Amino acid sequence: MAVDKGQIFTGSEKVDKYRAIYYAGASGDYNPIHIDPEFGKMVGLGGAILQGLCTLAFTAKVVTDWTGDPGRLKKIKCRFSAPVIMEDTISVQGNVTDVQAGRAKVELKVVNQAGAEVLQKVEAEVDA
Amino acid sequence: MSIDTKFIGKTYPAHTYEVGKEKIKEYAKAIKNHDPHYLDDDFAKKSKYGTIIAPPTFAVVFGAHLIEPVFTDKELNLNMAMLVHGEQELEFFEVVKPGDSITTTAKISDIKNKEKLDVISVQLHSKNQHGKDVSSGIYTFVVRK
Repeated sequence: MAVDKGQIFTGSEKVDKYRAIYYAGASGDYNPIHIDPEFGKMVGLGGAILQGLCTLAFTAKVVTDWTGDPGRLKKIKCRFSAPVIMEDTISVQGNVTDVQAGRAKVELKVVNQAGAEVLQKVEAEVDA
Repeated sequence: MSIDTKFIGKTYPAHTYEVGKEKIKEYAKAIKNHDPHYLDDDFAKKSKYGTIIAPPTFAVVFGAHLIEPVFTDKELNLNMAMLVHGEQELEFFEVVKPGDSITTTAKISDIKNKEKLDVISVQLHSKNQHGKDVSSGIYTFVVRK
């Protein structure tokens, strides 16, 4: 698939009730802020929050679904700007901002169902 | 108490991670990614890779073995109850396949002391059994004070 400047792609993911627990098991990130709502409240997070890297993985999936070949993703970065909680829906929109020397730069917007940016400064690079 | 900036540059012992096919599948399902490159053996055999590959962000699974010693470092003494993930950068080179033996090294690349929080960045680099670069990452954590 050819990648051109200005291309836009989208995707979304529902954060089901137990997602942080599945992610803890697979990733090894058992920090109680992710799996224990009481602990999350105690430290001022209002409850259990999804592992940021799970949100980033959802975002990377939207990019690799778009390219069709996971090996074409070469870089991804973000700032974790707001907590993601269970039952949230995360929507991702990618926008190809530049293609040079076989490499495409993609800027991504990652928001929850209320439109709040849960990730910011989200950038990816893919083989064009 | 602030994190002492003298720890910038501190390195941690290398860790070697053996990549298992079932672990790749477990991780792919956990991130709700059912791409057949990760889950379907027959599809994978016919793909350009000839085998199951790991999602790019699987890098954080072997990377975690280098983050844990930072989190439990008694000298550094991070307040884990107040720590959240602030930023993440990942760069990917070779794809990861079952049977790969991936060696990762880590160093503290930055510490910033601010009024209400500290910021600490850890830089990871991973190579496979062929000596090829697999991935690198910068994990930035925020510790509220």
